[in-house]
Amino acid sequence: MTSLLEIKNLKTRFFTADGVVKAVNDVSYSMESGEILGIVGESGCGKSVHALSIMQLIPDPPGKITNGEVLFEGRNLLDLDERDMRKVRGRDIAMIFQDPMTSLNPVFTVGYQIVEALRLHNDMTKKEARKRAGELLTLVGIPGAETRLDDYPHQFSGGMRQRAMIAMGLSCEPKLLIADEPTTALDVTIQAQIVDLVKKLQQELGMAIMWITHDLGVVAEMAERINVMYAGSIIERGKVRNIYKKTRHPYTMGLLGSLPRLDDSPGTKLASVPGLPPDLLALPEGCAFAARCAYRNDHCLAEKPPLVEIDGPDHIVACWRWEEIAGINKNE
Amino acid sequence: MSNYIIRRIISVLPTLIGVTFVIFMFQRLIPGDPAVAMLGEHATEESIERLREQFGLNRPLFLDREALADGDLAGFFDSQYVRYMKRLFSLDMGESIHRRIPVAETLAIRFPATIELALLSMFIAIIIGIPVGIISAAKRNSAIDSISMVGSLVGVSMPIFWLGLMEIMLFAVLMQWLPAGGRLGTGIEIKPITNLYLVDSLLMGNFQAFKDVFAHIIMPAIALATIPMGIIARMTRSSMLDVLQEDYVRTARAKGLGRGLVLFRHALKNASLPVVTIIGLQMGTLLAGAVLTETIFSWPGIGRWVYDGILGRDYPIVQGGTLVIALVFVGVNFFVDIMYALLDPRIRYD
Amino acid sequence: MANITPEEVIVTDFAVREHRSLWIDAWRRLISSNTARLGMFIVALFVLSAILAHYFWEYDPKVDLDYTLKLKPPTLVANEDVPSVHLFGTDKLGRDIFRRVVHGGWNSLRVGIVAVGISLTVGGLIGLFAGFYENINMTSLERIFLFGFTGLIMGILPAWAAAQPLQAVLMAGLGVAAAYFPNFHKDSINRLWIFAAAGGVVTAVPSLFAGSLVTLVCGVWGILTGALLSRPLEGKFFSNVMMRLMDIVLSFPGYLLAIAIVAFLGPGLEKGMIAIGIVSIPVYARLTRSAVLAVIQKEYILAAQAVGEKHGRIIFRHLTPNILSPIIVQTTMGLANAILSAAALGFLGLGAIPPEPEWGAMLGDSYRYLTSGAWWAVLFPGLAIMLSVLGFNLLGDGLRDALDPKLRT
Repeated sequence: MTSLLEIKNLKTRFFTADGVVKAVNDVSYSMESGEILGIVGESGCGKSVHALSIMQLIPDPPGKITNGEVLFEGRNLLDLDERDMRKVRGRDIAMIFQDPMTSLNPVFTVGYQIVEALRLHNDMTKKEARKRAGELLTLVGIPGAETRLDDYPHQFSGGMRQRAMIAMGLSCEPKLLIADEPTTALDVTIQAQIVDLVKKLQQELGMAIMWITHDLGVVAEMAERINVMYAGSIIERGKVRNIYKKTRHPYTMGLLGSLPRLDDSPGTKLASVPGLPPDLLALPEGCAFAARCAYRNDHCLAEKPPLVEIDGPDHIVACWRWEEIAGINKNE
Repeated sequence: MSNYIIRRIISVLPTLIGVTFVIFMFQRLIPGDPAVAMLGEHATEESIERLREQFGLNRPLFLDREALADGDLAGFFDSQYVRYMKRLFSLDMGESIHRRIPVAETLAIRFPATIELALLSMFIAIIIGIPVGIISAAKRNSAIDSISMVGSLVGVSMPIFWLGLMEIMLFAVLMQWLPAGGRLGTGIEIKPITNLYLVDSLLMGNFQAFKDVFAHIIMPAIALATIPMGIIARMTRSSMLDVLQEDYVRTARAKGLGRGLVLFRHALKNASLPVVTIIGLQMGTLLAGAVLTETIFSWPGIGRWVYDGILGRDYPIVQGGTLVIALVFVGVNFFVDIMYALLDPRIRYD
Repeated sequence: MANITPEEVIVTDFAVREHRSLWIDAWRRLISSNTARLGMFIVALFVLSAILAHYFWEYDPKVDLDYTLKLKPPTLVANEDVPSVHLFGTDKLGRDIFRRVVHGGWNSLRVGIVAVGISLTVGGLIGLFAGFYENINMTSLERIFLFGFTGLIMGILPAWAAAQPLQAVLMAGLGVAAAYFPNFHKDSINRLWIFAAAGGVVTAVPSLFAGSLVTLVCGVWGILTGALLSRPLEGKFFSNVMMRLMDIVLSFPGYLLAIAIVAFLGPGLEKGMIAIGIVSIPVYARLTRSAVLAVIQKEYILAAQAVGEKHGRIIFRHLTPNILSPIIVQTTMGLANAILSAAALGFLGLGAIPPEPEWGAMLGDSYRYLTSGAWWAVLFPGLAIMLSVLGFNLLGDGLRDALDPKLRT
């Protein structure tokens, strides 16, 4: 059986005046239908760029996908021409973005923007599309949907705009919804509402969701599997339980350590990852994380660690010293 | 929306009053007495005085202090400025000091000539400038982009009076294709309806006349269009580039829209806001540039007329001409504000 | 499997790019652009030839005249008809056009610098203060100044009507008082009545001797002014007044206002410079103001305020450096504009007084001979105008790309 989405050795580069930015480096993984996959990492780690690469929405120039395959239901999207790729976007794979304030076009009504997506991929009259758009707005929990179709984005609050974006994304019932940090720009209470909404919709509609975030807390709630990315590569991947309870990569440990926990004793300092992510223009030869790693040795600096399975496909890590680290993980 | 329009009208009023004030100031402050200029050095004191009285030139500029001290409140306000404002409000432009022809009469013939030229130039500038800007933005950093951007910069840098002369040299003197100046060939009759000859000749159904009018207007129109064309192309490009970086353009593409639709439907409408503004501003530049083109092409418009009026101290002409130009300018910018609201719902609903 | 212990991490930021300053970075971007290099080349050629010609190639336009060489086409070698070499030909007085074009550059350079100097200084300061005080509350000293000045201006009319300066001084005093006691009957209608009454009294009483009607008019004016001064005027008031003023100047089509100013000042290159400078003041004022508005809410301005720095210091130490790039670009392109406008004035006969070599005036002198085939007398001065203007525009364009990293690729 073919996976819904299988990515093999994806490489994305930005060719700038200052040099080549290695934004995505040899990323490979697969996703099944109906699965929720979390993709976690700091800003600038390539998680958004890799998602845009799947959609082929990398600004070109300067960006280019230089290598790899993106198999969607067995079909390599990178082989499609722009015309066929357009049919995939919105219909098979939909995407919602970080900032709902700027992601909706300010000069068109919300209704128009949903109807546009509907009529692009479905054979619908204007009337049918408008009716469906109203239903979609109701589905994502916007009260008085019928009248709000004629509102402009600036008349919506941030949370409502993100709901409208979700409605637009779901309009053609995609098999995969890529959510690129959809809650980052929202208030915490609104964040929770959006997370609940997406979970509910996923159960109702059954599409697969790729949830990109830097917030480990959110993905723990909803995802089955997690990819942790660092400097354009996946450094740890597996089932949520494994990532949280049997963390093997020092970077993931750092990320988890920077999350406050209720059972921390008062006065516990939040662990943080020191330093800054490496410059993607000049990636080090060895492990990209070595410079910030408390466990690095000469081997780490010299050679890049490969991804190894430590618990079958349910837990994979790229660290030379994962076995030693296993011994000190306090979560176990 | 109607609120917005009312607010725009109110905000335009002080500008208009200011403009009329400045016009008044300038013409009164220019040294030289028009009465002397008109009657010559050897005119008698008496006749000069009579003329000054006739045009109100012997009144104080703004307010009459002596009249106030004498307890004459009406006299206090009876000044050149108040008279001038009264005349403006009653749309009485007076008559030319030198030629004794009513200013309104001359304006009715000369103003359409200038407007016709300006509108045709703006039309040329827009239909070339906007597509060039869009293509440059869509093909950013390509050879087409570089060529059209340097080209439009040459347009912006063009001394239009020189370009006009070069046109005359090439097309009128060397090739003898087009007439070197004027608005109408000899022997061609135009029945003035709108006084825009291109329109009038078509209304008459006289294609021969239309061809002649067109041959006369095309060279000054192109000379006048060069600068706005370059400015519009550059503004369209940079505005499109700004918009193309916006998140909603990415959203539109993620929906599966093709490049063309993204460019012309989603990006262009947003990018058109600054372009509309610049077009409005350029309308003023066109009217002002008319002074130069009208000089070169002997075009019977108001630019040259006002210029001569300024030098000849012919107050009523300067007054009427500048007022009309300023009114057009303010009107165009008001129109731009309305366009703004039509294009951008954030302004409309504000 | 040996347990390991974490070590203290000394972060070694290896592979970080060499640090470059903002300006060096911008300079590198500038010289990497073909069009900017072309612009720099033209500007350098223009500036150098103008300066060198002015100081090392003497030219007295008043005695340059030779009717035997009237309107000769360009020659590269001397012949019997034209015994001297004239690269660009000669004009109607037999003057060498090449020589006049090169010397005309000096005049254009002067016009550009003086005109831009005027509009940049006046417009820039207006925009800077308008943008700043629109957002930052005035200190009490500044408020005293604003109120006093407003009172003084408003006091001029009654002072003039009564033919003595007393009222202007009194009104200024009233303004200062209003600013000095901002809490006097604050938020109460009484404040309005008290100040209106005071305004009426200080203007009406000194004009009693000039007649009853004068007293009446002055009194009414004084009451209105007093009412105005009772309001808590802020920087926004100042900014509004200034920007409205700029709007008015901007409502005039450029050349027309310049022509009117020259007509008022009288012809001459220096007058032309002033006229062009005045006309572009609003452009700089608006640009500076909007640049200020873009950065005034930034945290570093708030921080400077929070540590109690003086307003002047905030404006010139923190604000100005951060709004410099759009102003540099505008200045460069403004030079181009000034040269173009000066040429237009010269062409209309309002700029340089003949026989002074000036490109626009040279065109205006010669264009009547175009129909008799003297193309060279028109072509070369015009080409000089266009190229020098293009040079500054190219450079300004390159500067914009170089100074605005947001738009680079």
